[in-house]
Amino acid sequence: MKKLLMLFLMATPAFISAQESPAATVRKTFSRTTSVSTVIKADPAVIWALLTHAADYKRWNSTIISIEGDIAPGETIRLKSTLDPKRTFKLKVKTFEPENRMVWGDGKGKRTYTLTRNENGTTTFSMTEKIGGLMFPLYAKYIPPFDATFNRFAADLKQEAEKIGRNDE
Amino acid sequence: MQENFTEEFESIRPSLRSYILRMTASAADTDDIVQETWYKARRNLDSFQGQSSLKTWIFAIASNLAKDHLRQKKRWPENVTDICKEAALANPTFFGEAMQIRMTSPQGNFEIKEHIAFCFTCISKSLPLEQHIVLLLKEVYEFKVKEISTIMEQSEAMVKYYLHTARQKMIEVFDRRCALINKEGICHQCTELNGIFNPKQNVQEELAKIDLSRAAESGDKERLLDLRMDVLRGIDPFESGAAELQLHHIEHNRKVMEGYLEKEG
Repeated sequence: MKKLLMLFLMATPAFISAQESPAATVRKTFSRTTSVSTVIKADPAVIWALLTHAADYKRWNSTIISIEGDIAPGETIRLKSTLDPKRTFKLKVKTFEPENRMVWGDGKGKRTYTLTRNENGTTTFSMTEKIGGLMFPLYAKYIPPFDATFNRFAADLKQEAEKIGRNDE
Repeated sequence: MQENFTEEFESIRPSLRSYILRMTASAADTDDIVQETWYKARRNLDSFQGQSSLKTWIFAIASNLAKDHLRQKKRWPENVTDICKEAALANPTFFGEAMQIRMTSPQGNFEIKEHIAFCFTCISKSLPLEQHIVLLLKEVYEFKVKEISTIMEQSEAMVKYYLHTARQKMIEVFDRRCALINKEGICHQCTELNGIFNPKQNVQEELAKIDLSRAAESGDKERLLDLRMDVLRGIDPFESGAAELQLHHIEHNRKVMEGYLEKEG
């Protein structure tokens, strides 16, 4: 009975929308935070592999121009994004918990990836980027909005991970 | 089990040998690894619990030995065949030796499909090692994902990830390079060599015999990779009618690559 109730709850729009959230940005005086989350029909191991193999990003992720370096604990990567193609971001991998959580960032901000394994075999992927600091109000207007890029990132990841999950035995 | 082991191993040996050759691109290293696999498997036969087939267990031992052998070696570049072609043209003895094999060896035929398999052996060495192994095990030696997961000691999810990324990379490389499947492709080596070794053959007639070439117009890239894998499955690189000629090519390319990668630092 409990299981039936759970299945019923999982099918309700409220449950789905709790995990499926298009990108949204919260602006404050000294910071800006953009978040997106999506449910992916794939094992966290597959999603983790996609998120941590730098050389492969360009193939599946339309928001990334290039990533150089190893996405590994303590490593620094050099990332070029379609958000600002002329700029190379040097980002340090600060947290690296396989199939669970990864944080990379620099002095101005940090991006957090979170994977949550769901009971129905899916995985909820969440990505949050917070930028800010005391000087943030001075340069805030020069930073482009992230929402569209975040939505594309999440959609590309979902598409690629689900394609891999469909591979036959 | 002990009494059947040799018989079972011998039934596996041909596919094991071709698998290791396609990983190492060295006939000598292949024979060393296969022999070591035999010793190791026989010595540890008591630890084989039968949780997988004996073939899967033996391939796991061989894969680990090959991985140990290859781990310190650099992967080859995607344009390996361009680099090796240039080296062959600059080497006065290469074509002399090859022609000698062509004229005298019972395994000295040149066939385009054999060259397709040879070409794949070289180019697939540009894949990261894990992707290369999974691609061969799944697409050429027809192991199931679960069996590959046992061989690789990786989750099935990771095996699927490696397989998918390996396929996508090979599709992209061959689509960009191979003139058999893409008119804009920059590599014509299989037909060029056919002109040298089989000057009287009509190359269009030869191409028409190959499913991969016939299907090129379809533009279905996944299918074209599947057909390329069909070619590999149909060829034993040690036993085919072109084996000696192709092994000579492989030996040449491996030596060229070793020199090239050493120079690259």
